[in-house]
Amino acid sequence: MIGYAVRRLLAAIPTLLLVAVSVFLLMRAIPGNPAQLMLGDAAGPEEVAALRQSLGLDAPLPVQFLAWAGMTLSGDLGRSITNAQPVLPLIIERFQVTALIVLVAVGLAALIAIPLGMLAAWRQNRALDFAIVSFATLMLSIPSFWLGLILLLVFGVWLRWLPVVGFVGFTEDPAAAAVYVILPILTLVLVETGAVARMARSATIDVLRLDYISHARAKGLSEYRVLRRHALPNAMAPTLTLIGLVLGNLLGGIAVIETVFTLPGLGRLLVEAIYQRDYPVVQGVMLFVALVYVVVNLLVDLLYPVFDPRVTAE
Amino acid sequence: MLHVLALGLAALLCSTPVMAQETLLRTRLNSDIRSTDPGTNRDANTDAVVQHVVEGLVAYREDTSIGPLLAERVDQSEDGRTYTFTLRQGVRFHNGAVLTSADVKFAWDRYMRRETNWRCLPEFDGRGAARVTAVETPDPLTVVFQLAEPSALFLANMARVDCGGTGIWHRDSLNADGSWRTPVGTGPYRLGEWRRGQFVELMRFPDYVARVGERDGYTGNKAAFVDRIRWLIIPDAAAAKAALLSNTIDVIPDINSEDLPEYRARSDIRTSSTQTMGVMALLFQTRDPLLRDVRLRRAIALSLDLPEMARALSDGHSEYNPSIIPSRSPANGEAQREGYRRDLNEARRLLREAGYRGQTIRMLTTQRYSSVFDAAVMAQAMAKEAGINIEFDVLDWATLLDRYTRGDYAMMAFTYSARLDPSLSFEMVSGPKDAQPRKTWDNPEGLERLRESMRISDPARRQALFDDLHRRFIADVPMITLYNDANIAAFRANVTGFQTWPTGQPRFWGVRVR
Repeated sequence: MIGYAVRRLLAAIPTLLLVAVSVFLLMRAIPGNPAQLMLGDAAGPEEVAALRQSLGLDAPLPVQFLAWAGMTLSGDLGRSITNAQPVLPLIIERFQVTALIVLVAVGLAALIAIPLGMLAAWRQNRALDFAIVSFATLMLSIPSFWLGLILLLVFGVWLRWLPVVGFVGFTEDPAAAAVYVILPILTLVLVETGAVARMARSATIDVLRLDYISHARAKGLSEYRVLRRHALPNAMAPTLTLIGLVLGNLLGGIAVIETVFTLPGLGRLLVEAIYQRDYPVVQGVMLFVALVYVVVNLLVDLLYPVFDPRVTAE
Repeated sequence: MLHVLALGLAALLCSTPVMAQETLLRTRLNSDIRSTDPGTNRDANTDAVVQHVVEGLVAYREDTSIGPLLAERVDQSEDGRTYTFTLRQGVRFHNGAVLTSADVKFAWDRYMRRETNWRCLPEFDGRGAARVTAVETPDPLTVVFQLAEPSALFLANMARVDCGGTGIWHRDSLNADGSWRTPVGTGPYRLGEWRRGQFVELMRFPDYVARVGERDGYTGNKAAFVDRIRWLIIPDAAAAKAALLSNTIDVIPDINSEDLPEYRARSDIRTSSTQTMGVMALLFQTRDPLLRDVRLRRAIALSLDLPEMARALSDGHSEYNPSIIPSRSPANGEAQREGYRRDLNEARRLLREAGYRGQTIRMLTTQRYSSVFDAAVMAQAMAKEAGINIEFDVLDWATLLDRYTRGDYAMMAFTYSARLDPSLSFEMVSGPKDAQPRKTWDNPEGLERLRESMRISDPARRQALFDDLHRRFIADVPMITLYNDANIAAFRANVTGFQTWPTGQPRFWGVRVR
């Protein structure tokens, strides 16, 4: 298994290289000049040119790329054009916030959605199934920013149970930190529950139609045992794939949620960097996100054999 | 025994002085500040925070004239080439050191070094309005600036907010290698904690020496009454609104005007609004194959109901201002009222004369500022009534600014940041397009008059020049100015003393939180 994991990580190198080159070129291809943005509408061409020079943006593109790639290989992603902070520590600091919220939210969503999906499949075409599918479809249809704002309005403005803006780190004050992340986590849980529940339902329906389930029932096993012991492991594989994709997607940044709840996460960092044409930050974040995708998908692949012994990591 | 304990406790309680509760004011920034180095790596948010920490020799007053701040007074020589600043006595930096002329020269010398990247360097090294040839410090309270030529804009540029107000800071602000560390200024607040992406906190400076009198723009009495100001970074406007309504923040310095009726209907919220010096405008590229014809540009101007557009776009907070000089400026007088009045027949006649046959005119706009986008939509609809075919492209702000800088557009809806001197207002749009493609008005005679307005100090002569410039500007139609933005702030009812002013920047000195 370790050999497989190492081979998968090595196979990701061309992907990361492709991401690095394409993000570098795309950022330079879109119009907008970071020096001009910093100086504003009052700056003349001389001032803009001087600032571009001091930022190293006047060098030919291949020279800029090689300089950045060289630094990246030595573990230095450069410094932010906007505020001169080193990019790698900035990414790690912001990723901690995103990862905390995403992992808790996806974990909770999976714990809620998988039983819900299985229940719906078990009671297919009955009232319970209709209720669960309706809820899942509703959650899938609601834009996350709108749901977030509604939750803010209800729990923050009307009831005043939870803070509306701000963030406290878990290392600083765990109790206060928990209060600040309840609403963003709740928003994500609701949205992701919809997707995972539908997948769990569909996968369970497929499994429940198979002969070995009929055989298990014929043996006189209770419905609970049939579902838990026989249906769940086989229905988990596609659901797990979806959870992996959701996780990779969300870990890459939940910019909308982070913006609505003013969380200093990775997604907000990326969006702000794109607006400010902060090339080193955008390049660094995109490379990091690609790496996260690779690692999450690898972990999901390594988890398959746990649920389905027929699948091996090799 | 119990009695003794009770008496002892009572005595202890009585002898303990009542601790004054610390006051905290929480306000919103829509994005993080860029740095704390005045006038270098900056944006409007950075300026707003930094101006609470550092102070310059002079600053803008409420009426946008220039007044002394760290200077007690400013004397100008008869030939206009020497400015003598007499510093106020007893002003202290946040580290306790007393302000002297040597500190002023130290800070100035750093500003003038190219590697500092001070955005206003060109205004003082001869490329712009002035060339400072020497700075002398004859005694600890006197600083003398020598200029190569007289300049009417020397003090105005020195006070500019985007120049960091040419803030004077102590040398402890720098690291040993000369790089910027943290601002050790003389302002009413000192920098506390800056948690990037989350908040910036300022602490009241207890030894602040305030000027006597009233608060007056960025000068006057700047006494601080709030112990701590926390600038929370809240990018989303709806989240900021929720935070204000739920008492999570106390002030939103710049709200959307469409939210105003809701705030006004509430008893726990107060509002303050002022017309700012920012300019909303529709720009023409006078080198565009179609729009190089002044008749076509005039036809577009005459096809628009500009007073109606101004009212609608500003939600009734601003009136149409035909002049590039903001309506709040003392230099915006009777002559500046002359603009364009809607006349569809005349517009059609001009179009026929110019040989316009319905060709598409592309206008660039952005959704970053809703009023800029709406201006494009309204202009398109109104011009259509005269038979003018405008189509628009929506760009993000960075791209729009890039296209503006390169002059790469036919028409553009654009908003200019505040310029507080009339010469600077004209300078913002006037210049040779070959050297500076971002300039919209390239009129050599106009430029000569503008340069003259930058040299002379006599208000009457300057006003005559501005009137003349306005007439030429209206005749050439290089752009259509619409109105000056309104700055509307909303704050909780327990906040007193907060007031907006024409720069659009929030000020938290003179403000109390009950």
